[in-house]
Amino acid sequence: MIRFRRRSARIAATALVVVAFCVNSAIAQKTPQAKKIGGKFLCMCTCNQVLTQCNHVGCTTSTSMLKKIDQAVAQGDSEEKITQSFVQEFGTTVYAEPPKSGISLVAWAMPTVYLIIGAVLVVFVIARWRKVSVMSARTAGAAHPSHISQELLDRARSRAARDTED
Amino acid sequence: MDVFGSFALLLALVCAVYAFVGGIAAIYTRHPLLVKSTRQAGIATCALIFTATFSLEYLFFSDNFSAAYVVSHSNRSLPTFYKVAALWSGQEGSLLFWSFLLSVYVISVLLVYRNKNGELMPYVGVVLAGVQIFFLTLNNFVASPFKSLGMQNPAGGFDFFTRIDGNGLNPLLQYPEMVIHPPNLYSGYTGFTIPFAFALAALLARYPGEKWIHLTRKWTMIAWCFQTVGILLGAHWAYAVLGWGGYWAWDPVENASLLPWLTGTAFLHSVMMQEKRGMMKVWNVWLVFTTFLLCILGTFLTRSGVVSSVHAFAQSSIGSWFVGFMIVIVVVCFTAYVKNRDYLKSENQLDSVVSRESSFLFNNLILLVSCIAVLSGTLFPVFSEWISGSRISVGTPFFNKVNIPIGLLLMFLTGIGPLLAWRKTSTDSLKRNFGWPLLVALISGAALFAAGMRQFYSLVCFMLCIFVTATISMEFYRGARVIKSRGNMNLFSAAYELAWRNTRRYGGYIVHMGMVLIFIGLAGAAFNRDVQKDMQPGSTMQIGPYTLLLQSSDSKPEKNYSAERMIVEVIKNNKPMMLLYPERRFFTTNEQSGTMVAIYSTLLEDLYVVYAGQSPETNAPVIHAYLNPLVKWIWLGGVIVVMGTIVALMPNRRNVFVLSAVQQPAGATPAAPALQTSATYREGHD
Repeated sequence: MIRFRRRSARIAATALVVVAFCVNSAIAQKTPQAKKIGGKFLCMCTCNQVLTQCNHVGCTTSTSMLKKIDQAVAQGDSEEKITQSFVQEFGTTVYAEPPKSGISLVAWAMPTVYLIIGAVLVVFVIARWRKVSVMSARTAGAAHPSHISQELLDRARSRAARDTED
Repeated sequence: MDVFGSFALLLALVCAVYAFVGGIAAIYTRHPLLVKSTRQAGIATCALIFTATFSLEYLFFSDNFSAAYVVSHSNRSLPTFYKVAALWSGQEGSLLFWSFLLSVYVISVLLVYRNKNGELMPYVGVVLAGVQIFFLTLNNFVASPFKSLGMQNPAGGFDFFTRIDGNGLNPLLQYPEMVIHPPNLYSGYTGFTIPFAFALAALLARYPGEKWIHLTRKWTMIAWCFQTVGILLGAHWAYAVLGWGGYWAWDPVENASLLPWLTGTAFLHSVMMQEKRGMMKVWNVWLVFTTFLLCILGTFLTRSGVVSSVHAFAQSSIGSWFVGFMIVIVVVCFTAYVKNRDYLKSENQLDSVVSRESSFLFNNLILLVSCIAVLSGTLFPVFSEWISGSRISVGTPFFNKVNIPIGLLLMFLTGIGPLLAWRKTSTDSLKRNFGWPLLVALISGAALFAAGMRQFYSLVCFMLCIFVTATISMEFYRGARVIKSRGNMNLFSAAYELAWRNTRRYGGYIVHMGMVLIFIGLAGAAFNRDVQKDMQPGSTMQIGPYTLLLQSSDSKPEKNYSAERMIVEVIKNNKPMMLLYPERRFFTTNEQSGTMVAIYSTLLEDLYVVYAGQSPETNAPVIHAYLNPLVKWIWLGGVIVVMGTIVALMPNRRNVFVLSAVQQPAGATPAAPALQTSATYREGHD
């Protein structure tokens, strides 16, 4: 009798775990692989959140998207294949980050390009300033390179100093 | 009252047009009466905008449901506190609020400088009036908040009517921070109009450049501080209300608030080059122009719907007006620059690559690259749609990957920049200033690595934060030691005294320290964890060292909403610690629901518990728990940044203490010791 009870308890506990597992599968991914892939998409319920972070309870969109990933991973589909099927179904707006191919490469390249161009510009400016500094030290009193005369500039400066007060 | 407010707005527009046209005439004729009358018109414009704003608030407080805007954003049971916030909860009201805050700045400028800067102020008045005309045009003709409820009758006339109650305020906005977050952010946006107006005015008036910097430094810092506080309050609101466990989602509207902050920060640094060395005048003028343009762009992004955002409450076709305004600004600024650029010639050149000047250049480079990267990422979906026909989303992972390295570079410069001397830094000085901080940072990094920290960016971030903290501490220590040796006081009192002697410099260091704390908090995000579970009363879930036991649930009806509350017991090391009450609120008037997160916050970590609602499959409450390390440091950092800005805004304290404490050498003049002391610790810095 006791043995039967223990066995029943074990079956009940196992059933509970299975039920709990099934329930949880609706809101969380089973495998790290599925979680990783889910993190690369946006939820299509217009919340603009990453799929695995969509926190709308009852959001049928994220639930069905996550289920699809779960199933695909269980079937042994590759990440690339899952991505392709999602893009086919939802369009390119499903990406949480632009893919590193085609026109999207521009988005990835731009910050680095800005940094390189900016750094080159800064180095150029520093070099030019230093060069002018050395030249002006050598040719003190040479003609003013600007279109307006030094006298006019000095007059404007003294006018500004006179007119403005802190 | 709606007619009164509407009339006040119309009259304000008339006054602004007079201030603008009359101001231009005053610039050419220099007639004193015309100058005075245009200034008075500027003041009258502001007074009328105040009147209109208070009229709208009165409509909210008196539950006047004949006004369409009041019906859309309020109801009788809305607490008084939120009736204030209802003003800026929609398109029309928020644009009026823009005008209101701008008017606060404009009237302050016109009154503070009413007897000063005689030649410059008419130009400033014209620029400010021009900006006001744009917003007043929107307030009057495009998005008037004073429209009455009505419908066309069969006879072709219009029947006005009054509703018994309103639709209520958006639940997401019914949170205390929402009462202070938008005013702060808007004060930042509008505040940058003042340096913009002075910069453009100085260029138009052919002022060689440095004076407008002195005049607007405090205005710029105030605007920057408001922008900082606004951004952080927005982040905290997102954290505590939206219930997704984070504080920054790189939403287009969040990005829009960050853009002018980045260029404004660059400007606050590069103006020092102009003040100290007369350099980067062209750059500074364009930085201010860009900052103002980005403020307008931010307002445009919030309202146009050109990029999808969670802040979709204010979308409309108003965007084309902002595009037009931005084009006008660019044309005016560019024309003024081309015409008068010769007056912006640098007075000095660079003496050495290793100098404060170079560090400012790189600081500006990093901030600008970050700004352009955020801007291009925000607008990339639009561009990709134009070019390829398909819209490609750019979400959080992209922005994190791009901006984390940029942020670390910036933190590195925060450490080294302030300790480099103007003109040239010697090798000895480099060793003296950076030797110890570098060593401390490396040892700390090794210790963290040995302790198991393997996240590369977080490790580098912590090392850099320690490096910057060490450099700032050394600066305070050196200065305080000098004062201590001469003043018979302890080191802390000496450091306090030191900060008040050169508020700008040491206030800046305090701001940097605040940024260090914010970066520490951000680095903690790499270690976030979360668990979600359907829970029945009596069931538990485990997250980190905490066990969460769902005890029970209850509901409480409030005046404006009903709340369903979970009672969650937090257990740590088998000892009950506290009860948390995450809840969901249901607002009956507009049938919307909202989250109220329960957070147990310590310096080490935040236990963040969300009641996410009932599972559609099991009907059991879904509890989502997060363990977010170091988040509190971000909010503490924000407080330190504000404190530092306030210190930097204060005037320097006179060296009374030094004069009384220094031993007078025989035969020395009384003023000499103060100068000597000052020279001791001011060398090469500021």
